[in-house]
Amino acid sequence: MDEDYRKLIHDARNPLNNISVHAELSKLALQTSSDIDKAITSLDVILSECQRCSQKLQSLADTLEAKERE
Amino acid sequence: MAKILLVDDDQAFLDATGELLTMLGHSVVTADSVAGAQRVASGKVFDHVILDLILPDGSGLHVLDQLESGNTTNVTLVTGHPSVKSVVKDLYGPNISYLIKPIDLKQLQSLLDKPVAKKVRSEELPGMHFGHLVGESAPMKKLYEMIDRVSGTKANVLLMGESGVGKEVVAGAIHYASQPEGEFVPANCGAFARDLISSELFGHEKGAFTGASHRKAGVFELANKGTLFLDEITEMPIEQQPNLLRVLETQKVTRLGATSAIDINCRVVSATNRTESQLAEENCLREDLYFRLAVFPIYIPPLRQRLEDIPLLVEHFLADFNKQYQAEVGIDEASLRRLQTYDWPGNVRELRHAIHRAYIMADRDTNNLVLPDDLSSPFSKTGESKISGISVGKTVEDVERELIETTLEHLDGDKKKAAEMLGISLKTLYNRLNSYAEEH
Repeated sequence: MDEDYRKLIHDARNPLNNISVHAELSKLALQTSSDIDKAITSLDVILSECQRCSQKLQSLADTLEAKERE
Repeated sequence: MAKILLVDDDQAFLDATGELLTMLGHSVVTADSVAGAQRVASGKVFDHVILDLILPDGSGLHVLDQLESGNTTNVTLVTGHPSVKSVVKDLYGPNISYLIKPIDLKQLQSLLDKPVAKKVRSEELPGMHFGHLVGESAPMKKLYEMIDRVSGTKANVLLMGESGVGKEVVAGAIHYASQPEGEFVPANCGAFARDLISSELFGHEKGAFTGASHRKAGVFELANKGTLFLDEITEMPIEQQPNLLRVLETQKVTRLGATSAIDINCRVVSATNRTESQLAEENCLREDLYFRLAVFPIYIPPLRQRLEDIPLLVEHFLADFNKQYQAEVGIDEASLRRLQTYDWPGNVRELRHAIHRAYIMADRDTNNLVLPDDLSSPFSKTGESKISGISVGKTVEDVERELIETTLEHLDGDKKKAAEMLGISLKTLYNRLNSYAEEH
């Protein structure tokens, strides 16, 4: 696979990874300390990381399109 | 608790994972580049290094080159794709682990719990079964088979046996054989103050009741992923039992005063010195709770049914005391034979106590144990005899029958021994038993 794609896919996985870790973090915060503020902070991160993931996927799609047109 | 070095170029990931690991009780150092990792890690030794392969200023593997004492450190690579595994394996051998993105709690925990499991195995002692039990008699062999079977499952176990047979030791053996991630947490239901049972079992939040000045985890929470041993389960007040039942059914615990439940995954090993029929008759254990607890009931044999194990047990206790007192006390053949003729109503606990006493009284010249003239303990003469026995109004036949039946029961149905003990011929014994059978 092209080095560009590899980089883009790696970039798209990072926000997904953050979503996963923050989901665990908020779950743990609620389970062990009922710390709602902490959970909400994590949930906010999850929401913004969803946006970031979408952007990364979009730039991957754009690159693919550009390659096809060439 | 482990010391962890976490290296990744994504700051948000670093912060979150660092926090997650801290919440799990580990100490974490983070860095976002090869240079940064080398800076924070200089001179320190880590139990785990978790690395991203692709870092802004080079490969994550460069971090490893600079790290001290590589052999005790577990290295984990964070990768987006499993295919990376095969590439790196050739470089660093099988000691390397992988976290596949997206990372979740399960992955992290299984990674960090790995070395603990290894340690337990290496402590295996010679002559000990499951690291806890001593004895090679047939009833014990059967017990080992049961422990072996149940260790592969998640079933709750109810241990039954007389006082002193070693129920907590067997519970420890089950925990050992199952090799769970979590701890072995013993709790005695008879020892809890009545008002505090719920708090002890399920924990409480700060301020849940007067005097609750701190948040406290209950024994269920402490035993998560491990084994919870509830001794004297029948001592739990009957009105508290539905709460316990609910936890077992839902596998969730709610601390007193908390608004949300915590997932609990542990094996519950409970114990009682009552028999199954006593449990049913005395109404000390709810039937629905019994079925939850006794998915796999195990009966632990009394010591008098495995008298041939006494030499091994004595040897084990002597080794223990010799280590404790730094001495070399032994036992002679005659004493050992005497120990095997006594019937030990207090079971292994009584035997241990007798050995300890004889140890203190040991002959200083021969370095051998000195047994007392009378082995029986003051507690052994009460109890059992109350049920049977002589009272006005019973016929001679009744008493004779009771005597024969009690003797047989005591010897587990060995008719030859029973006849000897009763001072009658085997033939007479058979005749009596036949006549009882006809009466039915």
